[in-house]
Amino acid sequence: MSWMQNLSNAMVLAAIYILMASGLTMVYGVLKVLHIAHAAVYTVGAFAGVLIYTWVGNFWLALFLAMVISGLLGIVIYRGTYFYMLDSPRTVPLIASIGLYVMITDLLQKDFLMGPYQRAFPAQGAGLPRIETRFFTLTPKQVLILLVAVALMALLYVVLTKTRIGLGWRGAAQDREMAASVGVNLNRVISLNFFLGSALAGAAGVLVGVYNNSVFATMGDVVSYKAFIIIVLGGMGSLPGAVLASIILAVAENFLVATVGYVLPRDAIAFLVLIVFLMYRPHGLLGKE
Amino acid sequence: MSDYVLSVAVFVGIWVTLALSLNILTGFAGQVSLGHAAFFGIGAYTSAILTANYGQSFWTGFALAILITGMTGAVLGLPSLRVRHDFLVLVTMGVNFVVVALFKYVDFFGGAMGIVNIPAPSLFGHTFRGGAPYLILVWVYALATLGVSWYLSKTWTGMAFNTVRLDEDAAAAVGVSVPRFKIYAFAISAALAGGAGSLYAHFIGSVFPDTFVFLESIAILSMVIFGGVGTLRGPIVGAIILKAAPEMLRFVQDYRFTLYGALLVLMMLFQPMGLLGDDSWLWTKLQRLFRKGS
Amino acid sequence: MAQLPSQSIPTLTPESPPRLEVRSVSKRFGGLQALKDVNIIHERGILGLIGPNGAGKTTLFNIISGFLKPTEGQVIFNGQAIHTRRPHQIVEMGIARTFQIVKPFADMTVRENVISGLGMPIYPRWLALVQRYRTPATLQASEAILRLTDLTVWAEARAESLPIGLQRRLEIARALATGPRLLLLDEPAAGLTAAEAEDLAQLIRTLNAQGISIIVIEHNMTFAMGLCHRIVVLAQGEIIAQGPPEQVRHDERVINAYLGQEDDNA
Repeated sequence: MSWMQNLSNAMVLAAIYILMASGLTMVYGVLKVLHIAHAAVYTVGAFAGVLIYTWVGNFWLALFLAMVISGLLGIVIYRGTYFYMLDSPRTVPLIASIGLYVMITDLLQKDFLMGPYQRAFPAQGAGLPRIETRFFTLTPKQVLILLVAVALMALLYVVLTKTRIGLGWRGAAQDREMAASVGVNLNRVISLNFFLGSALAGAAGVLVGVYNNSVFATMGDVVSYKAFIIIVLGGMGSLPGAVLASIILAVAENFLVATVGYVLPRDAIAFLVLIVFLMYRPHGLLGKE
Repeated sequence: MSDYVLSVAVFVGIWVTLALSLNILTGFAGQVSLGHAAFFGIGAYTSAILTANYGQSFWTGFALAILITGMTGAVLGLPSLRVRHDFLVLVTMGVNFVVVALFKYVDFFGGAMGIVNIPAPSLFGHTFRGGAPYLILVWVYALATLGVSWYLSKTWTGMAFNTVRLDEDAAAAVGVSVPRFKIYAFAISAALAGGAGSLYAHFIGSVFPDTFVFLESIAILSMVIFGGVGTLRGPIVGAIILKAAPEMLRFVQDYRFTLYGALLVLMMLFQPMGLLGDDSWLWTKLQRLFRKGS
Repeated sequence: MAQLPSQSIPTLTPESPPRLEVRSVSKRFGGLQALKDVNIIHERGILGLIGPNGAGKTTLFNIISGFLKPTEGQVIFNGQAIHTRRPHQIVEMGIARTFQIVKPFADMTVRENVISGLGMPIYPRWLALVQRYRTPATLQASEAILRLTDLTVWAEARAESLPIGLQRRLEIARALATGPRLLLLDEPAAGLTAAEAEDLAQLIRTLNAQGISIIVIEHNMTFAMGLCHRIVVLAQGEIIAQGPPEQVRHDERVINAYLGQEDDNA
């Protein structure tokens, strides 16, 4: 494979990482909570996507509704748990988050929901074209992922920089109390934050489901741990950092696997890299003390 | 006692030990770990390899499992010197993944097939696989772990753990070397979990990587938190309830992790100090009852 | 308050005075110059460290006590360089400190807080693993320190339940328990009433009379002037004046520094 092809494959992977990690880092930015249940939201998104797609047969509608459902689930999680733990020691929401994740993932595996097996998600490329150039080829599925990710991130950028609520979010990420004291409606800002972040995770779930043509209850495991690695590398709570780290990790993974092969699965390597990296920079790539 | 009840009792004993050992790290020294199953696994594999592949006796395997896991714990605790809080949580999680991946992908550890034909322990020429003697062995070890925990909490080491948990800067200001005592906590906690791993391996007779995954770490942490982190009664009661209930009740077995998850969430919402933690509803009631009775 | 205990506290043994030398210490945080070429020598007595907000007083404390490393310069204590050592090693050498934002061990009782400091000589040894911390000796020593700091009635209360003034005193008690030759107090009088502040000043004088050298960061000029034998004034990371209180009080640069700050606040 040419290095250009490798790079374009890495960008597709990076797009998924970005969608997944940006929600996570947004939550961390405002609440300082390690939102482990984010992975469950991602899986729920994929599950909702495949169900709706099977019913109505329209991928774009399925994607949209899956994002709405994931977003609402995010708000429910916030209002039902973290909301009551804002002033508790940080281990309290962390443990609750682990609980949520374990509970939702386990419930999803029950027969009345997804069951313990994989479902196909045969949306193909949603009718998008294949792109072939002299240097690289993008399959319709890859085009779909890039397109959706770029569009969503552009939308997120506009929301965060051009709207009042976005400014409120950035204020809250700087200093929660200060933002509240200058009249930012914290509750609304955080709820919206959860909605947006969770909707992005839901979109990531749908896209990965389509890409692998498979949706299953524990599909969130690996991706979510990856997302944590990314937000650590990006300096917890920094959105540009998360985007940068997503790209770096995706490129590194693709080229490592392509050039040296591996003795350990790539996820273990990613964690090893994380641990070594943290020893060197305990506060992340762009993180401050 | 039927074999079934017996084996449940053995499992409960092993998990009581695991919960108590994690409690030393998390409850005493304040280092939240999502990777305790890695130490459980290292102990199990150490003992399994020494006995099944190198013909050592159970007792050698058991002792070396404690020793080697303790030393590994000290090494794997090194990251805790550089990172704190959420970063540490992620690092312990990562350590768990890497350790399981090593078990799975390195031939020395038997790969995905694990290690089988682990011999049963023998004492005075009697071999005992399972049975009442094994149950006694497991619970003697659990009690020893309890004893170590209790005594530790009375010593200067326990005091130093407390200072590290409550405020690292203030700990340094009273002369506590924070890194040193974090490593102690990791080593002691890991060593005790390593012994539990050995007992597990020789009871089952085989070990597989999938037993020691991240989800098991969460289960052990759940027991500690559910019962009441930092106390001695908490992890014991937590482990007994959360380990025995799924074995006893079919419904609970099917929904084991749903239950763990829901319990953790509810606990954090209403009793963040755990079922029997200091100042918890139940513990306050019990204390009042006890005082009235006496 | 602050009656001397009838029997002397074993950890407080007056010897030849300790000598602290801060030699051309500078500290930069990124682009910010927090300290610039600071030189201080302190032996016996009570040294006041004053200056407007952001002058670098706490930064200097953090450097002396090992929580920060100086960008340049050295800190010498009794002839040994300590700026390369870690905080707990500096405590072992006989320098104890309190924190501006109090950090008592919240879950422990007041007595346990004091006992935690008594462990200073034991923590570095392997024996720490097996020795119990509650012994007649530690109980007696903690009792003496509690009496000295007038905390006896609170001995069994949880540290976090104490009002802020008492928490500040508890920090001093805990620092004393480590048996310091030099005590660094970071704004001990902040948030105290005038009467409480006078009690505190009395306690500090008593400790100094027992042979403990003291450096105290103080925001309140009047309090510092009344307490300290010598005063060092920091402004924007530099020493702008030092000497006896009377002299410093009339120093033009000091007056300007403080007036300038008031202008900023207005």
